[in-house]
Amino acid sequence: MKWRRTAVAVALVILGVALQTTLFVRLRPFGASPALALLITLAVSRHLGRVPSLLVGFSTGLLLDLLSETALGLWALVLTTVAFATVRLRRRFEDDVTLLIPGVFLVSFAALAMYALLGTIFGEQTLADAQVVRKMLLPAVYNVILTPLVLPPITRLIGERGGRPGWNL
Amino acid sequence: MWRPSGIDRSTATFIGLVLLSLVLVTIDLRASGEGLGGTLRDGVQTAFTPVQKAATFVTRPVVGFFEGLSDLVGIRDENRRLRLQVADLERQLAETESLQRRVEELEQILAIEPPEELDTVAARVLATGPSDFDAIRLIDKGRRDGITVDMPVIDEGGLVGRVVAVTETSARVRLITDPTMRVAVQVERTGETGILTGRGGGLLQLEMFNTQAALIEGDLLVTADGRFPAGIPVARVTEDAEAEVGFSLVTRAAPEAELSRVDYVKVLVFTSDQVGAPGSEEEEEPVQPPLENGGTETTVGTGSGPGTTLSP
Repeated sequence: MKWRRTAVAVALVILGVALQTTLFVRLRPFGASPALALLITLAVSRHLGRVPSLLVGFSTGLLLDLLSETALGLWALVLTTVAFATVRLRRRFEDDVTLLIPGVFLVSFAALAMYALLGTIFGEQTLADAQVVRKMLLPAVYNVILTPLVLPPITRLIGERGGRPGWNL
Repeated sequence: MWRPSGIDRSTATFIGLVLLSLVLVTIDLRASGEGLGGTLRDGVQTAFTPVQKAATFVTRPVVGFFEGLSDLVGIRDENRRLRLQVADLERQLAETESLQRRVEELEQILAIEPPEELDTVAARVLATGPSDFDAIRLIDKGRRDGITVDMPVIDEGGLVGRVVAVTETSARVRLITDPTMRVAVQVERTGETGILTGRGGGLLQLEMFNTQAALIEGDLLVTADGRFPAGIPVARVTEDAEAEVGFSLVTRAAPEAELSRVDYVKVLVFTSDQVGAPGSEEEEEPVQPPLENGGTETTVGTGSGPGTTLSP
């Protein structure tokens, strides 16, 4: 059962990465797109065990790294941190909209800021980008907009039946 | 697994994964994207391309629907603009035909071989980078179609970018808006050269070598000889820039290619080796810096062969 949920989470992540890299080629309101893989990592980390959550976060990041031209390991580091933060905070990340919406925004914004900072440290010139603030802010806003469409179905797919999120491996 | 007392299993795993990520970053940076990282990228991209093709096939109607909605808003203005553009293009065509005749006559007089047309490979954009920070596009043509790293990519407007990675069936193109991209350009009106640098999106930064030649809004910038064949439209100056002796002449320019909505592109079968131009990984220096007397040398050729340099 645990492995089934982890397998579903991996499939969701692959679907999310495929959609993120194809759906938003031309559909970029105000020149930005949602950070869908990040949102799905956050969503599955609310329900999987602590260690599987971290492994899914790391694998998702590694997949993003391999599909981009950035240094291998940058996204892996960021999404592992997202999974870790979610695992630590998920007791408060329950289906209370007043907590969930600001939580999604803050985690998304902080993750993109972390990526921009690490990218600059490792020579990607991300902070030299004239639209750096916009590229952190808008995807975080779009993630908030997508939250009602993404989180409930994922909860239904891999959430504990009738229980609270947060079971451990 | 050993772990210090007081650290739970998830924290220990987190620390381990963070360290692993940092090791991967270090190894990949030291190998400059080649080695294990390069092989993994090729393999994963090859395996993931069919997934992206399927996702593109499924999502294209959705994208088309939303694009249609946004296009509907500006369709009347677009129509008016296109009519003006047609009239302008008809006038330009007449002028071009006249100029073409003159060029042929001059070529005959100077016994210069006319530049050969470059071969092109048409491709469709399949995917974008995983985040807004990645100014890259994945196209559906690769090594088996004759595409190699460094080839220029254009659309109907002008230069889109440069191929930076190739698999058998796909290739990654880095857009000219990427902050690591620098393109040597020439102002079509004056022949002065400079460097265009990406700023992550939107406008590009133009820095001229000759600080005494003013730039006027609307000046067209084309590629200078070097990494790209000469003469490809790249961008148009958006702000006048006054000449200031002793200071750098910097302004902004808007890309001619429609980068935000690029769908079909052409890859030019050309590498900088064909003109023997120098250039680092990301930086391109023009072959001909401006002469001290303010004039420039003139190069004939598109880069399909060594250009012929004529002294003014």
